[in-house]
Amino acid sequence: MNTNPNSNLQVAAENELEPRGEVAASIKLFHDAMHSIADRATERPVPSDWLIPARRRQRSGQRRMILAWSCAAALCFSVVPLTVHTAHPGIAPHPPTVFNAQPAAVEQPTSEDALLEQIDNEVSESVPSSLAPLSELDSWNSTTSTTESSIHTEKSNVTQ
Amino acid sequence: MPEKLIPGKLTQEQSVLELADFDEVVRLYRPRIFRFLMSSLADRDVAESLTQDCFLKAYNARHQFRGESSLSTWLTRIALNLVRDHLRSRRMRFWQKTRETALDLVDISDWIPDTSVSAETACLQQERVKEVWKAVEQLSRQQRTVFLLRFVEEMELNEIAETTGMNTSTVKSHLYRALRVVRERAGGEQQ
Repeated sequence: MNTNPNSNLQVAAENELEPRGEVAASIKLFHDAMHSIADRATERPVPSDWLIPARRRQRSGQRRMILAWSCAAALCFSVVPLTVHTAHPGIAPHPPTVFNAQPAAVEQPTSEDALLEQIDNEVSESVPSSLAPLSELDSWNSTTSTTESSIHTEKSNVTQ
Repeated sequence: MPEKLIPGKLTQEQSVLELADFDEVVRLYRPRIFRFLMSSLADRDVAESLTQDCFLKAYNARHQFRGESSLSTWLTRIALNLVRDHLRSRRMRFWQKTRETALDLVDISDWIPDTSVSAETACLQQERVKEVWKAVEQLSRQQRTVFLLRFVEEMELNEIAETTGMNTSTVKSHLYRALRVVRERAGGEQQ
């Protein structure tokens, strides 16, 4: 006779794993119902192209996976340089302003003629369109004045 | 004449040989896998899709099968992994939300009990099955799996442990809790 309390408890627990009475009958009915429904759903023979939808799903799943990994890799490649940049604030990407000041000082000794020419170009370019007829008039005046001066010199030559 | 193969009663060598004739494997095990998936997910369409996925996976991995477990256990394990993946997926979470207001996708009234019983008894039997079904839906995923493998697929505890990857005492624990819920819901014995 087994008097070990632990083994008695174990036997009691094992008994609890087997339903009895009405519950057992209900579970048996549930078992029969599941078998009946499934058997009816699968009673037709399997068609030859039965696995094609599964293959299609598998391929689209693989494509989605590849796309997801590609996106993740692209994101990593774009984010990692920024992270490295912000993670090392001591390393400046550009030289400090002290170094920038020197090239500016070097550029200063340009010729005055070139500078004047540049200013002249800028000024002449900035004539607004509304003032264009005036500028044409100016040019006309300048040409007439030159012709007048040439006539005047001719006259003086004649008198001489 | 070769001996007819009976699922679940095969030796290691027979299991490997049996897998060579894949059409026969599908014919023999499709109802069982479909039944397990349907009772786990309560959705016939999803069960059918996952049954196809299960056999496709099995076909792709057929060279890895060494017959260490029975073919039935191996296929059920694949199906169980598919259920797990399916429940984890976002799409399923969406469906779970919509299902709350949707119809019961596996209608127990589709099942017609033994025609020899009276209409009243048949109606009563359907009600009892519905109660068990509701109780099963209340169970946690692991409890439900263990319950279905034990009482619908009629697997032994060690087979369930092998299929689910749990140890036997964990299987017993889940089964004990599942039965307690079913007892409370389906009436009869109280703790």
